[in-house]
Amino acid sequence: MNANRIVAIIIKSWYNSKRDIFRIFDIFWWPAFELFIWGLFSIFISKTSSSGINIISILLGAVILWTFFDRASRDMSIALIDEMWNKNFINLFSTPLTVTEYLVGVTIVSTIKLIISIVFMFFLANVLYGFQITSLGFYLIPSAIGLTIFGWTLSLVVQAFIIRFGHTVEVFIWAVAVLFQPLSCVFYPLSILPQWARTMAMFLPSTYLFENMRRYMSGGLVNWMEILISFGLNALYLILAMVFFYRSFEKAKQTGTIIRNY
Amino acid sequence: MDNSCIEVAHLTKTFGNFQAVRDISFSVKTGEIVGLLGPNGAGKTTTIFMLLGLIRPTSGNIKIFGLDYQRNAEQILQQLNYSSTYVEMAPRLKVIENLRIMARLYQVKDAEEKIAMYSRKFELGEFLDKRHDTLSQGQKTRVYLAKAFLNSPKLLLLDEPTASLDPDVAELVRKEIINARKQGMTILLTSHNMAEVEVMCDRVLFINQGMIVAEDTPEQLAKKVRQIRVNLMMKDGQKRTIQFAEKSGFPMVTNGRFLTISVDEQDIAFLLAGLAELGVSYSEISVDKPTLEDYFIKMTHTKGTV
Repeated sequence: MNANRIVAIIIKSWYNSKRDIFRIFDIFWWPAFELFIWGLFSIFISKTSSSGINIISILLGAVILWTFFDRASRDMSIALIDEMWNKNFINLFSTPLTVTEYLVGVTIVSTIKLIISIVFMFFLANVLYGFQITSLGFYLIPSAIGLTIFGWTLSLVVQAFIIRFGHTVEVFIWAVAVLFQPLSCVFYPLSILPQWARTMAMFLPSTYLFENMRRYMSGGLVNWMEILISFGLNALYLILAMVFFYRSFEKAKQTGTIIRNY
Repeated sequence: MDNSCIEVAHLTKTFGNFQAVRDISFSVKTGEIVGLLGPNGAGKTTTIFMLLGLIRPTSGNIKIFGLDYQRNAEQILQQLNYSSTYVEMAPRLKVIENLRIMARLYQVKDAEEKIAMYSRKFELGEFLDKRHDTLSQGQKTRVYLAKAFLNSPKLLLLDEPTASLDPDVAELVRKEIINARKQGMTILLTSHNMAEVEVMCDRVLFINQGMIVAEDTPEQLAKKVRQIRVNLMMKDGQKRTIQFAEKSGFPMVTNGRFLTISVDEQDIAFLLAGLAELGVSYSEISVDKPTLEDYFIKMTHTKGTV
């Protein structure tokens, strides 16, 4: 792996982003949008509910953690289709750049964008709703890492499909996180789900992380065994996704889709 | 000592039921300029993409710089570069930014000096600070060529290097390519400009329907077309000349007083003797020897046999 080539991908992305108002807009708009909707909704719920649980904090915490997952699942894939739309794919991969170096480069860029989005969200949540970062406490670290990794895993799968099948499957870039949202129990506890869905949800690393977020924010407790299961599933899925991605890339070279589509 | 830069052995590429490249073998020596010619869809681009490692061959073997491609792709690509009119650079980036990114990907030492040098050579100065998507196709082609020379590659793959260039810039590019060869660079290029190929290439591989159907110097390939065109500007006896050509079975084109008669090399003496016997007179006569373009047209129209 060559650091110079990874830096080239990062610089390229920086040049690209700074000239594309929609990319900059994307970093700030969607987090703000989600925060407004769920913040207002949680205020409404808290006014009509007498449960005593801090609904506003829990829902805002969920929105913020959800953003880790949502953005991680999209940003890398968007970088990939950007290269394809711009017919720059052949240009890049006819150089000594390896797929791994490319992935590392876009992952670093995606992480920087994610951090900017999240900092902005914390700031906005604090200004609008008085939400404190401390309400997520130390739990922010494992949950943010776990959800980001799961987002990257899904992004790798989507990228593998795009490389293999071309532009027709691009819609999954924006849809994949939403498809996993109901089973991840972002805004409600696992116990709400019907039994069949509960069984499926337990195979998702995200479910355990959102469950424990609510647990932590309600009473400061975390079930570490569940966090361990979540990270175990994450590691397994990430490995499988990487294998799938590399195989798809190789398959695209065999079938020629890599040059036909891009 | 074996000085092959590219060695291709029994290369085949199949896409589903379609055989794009069929069992081709060739080699290119270090310092050679070789033209890869053929009609659209012949398999030229597929071959180039296999040499770049962007397409995996169905079977066969590629060695570049004596190294096996599968095991040494990174090392090979470091010493190779590619330019094509049909791929793009990042559109929102300025020309200079794109070149800097490429220089970094190839780990070019003295990148700024190299960029400045090739900007001068390909006359990029006036648009170095412009976004790539604002350039004309001709300007883009010049940028791709500058990019292709940036890492001082040992092997250069050029797909239509002078397409969409003004004649003066195309000439400049041809000079640069010939100069590069003098410095030991090996070049494999595709072009639809046969005159350009005749001037630049040491050797031509003619590919049709995925197979190499001819391999020789441009002059020798042109000689395979035995038809010679005799151009006459008639003074007297035009009708008799036409009748004679028709009777002898020579294809002919007339345009006012101008006649162009196509004859086989061996029949030229017969034609000239016949015209003398008829007592016709002409004010001008010229003979066009067959060119590579004639060979290309012949090969393309006769499905690979001359």
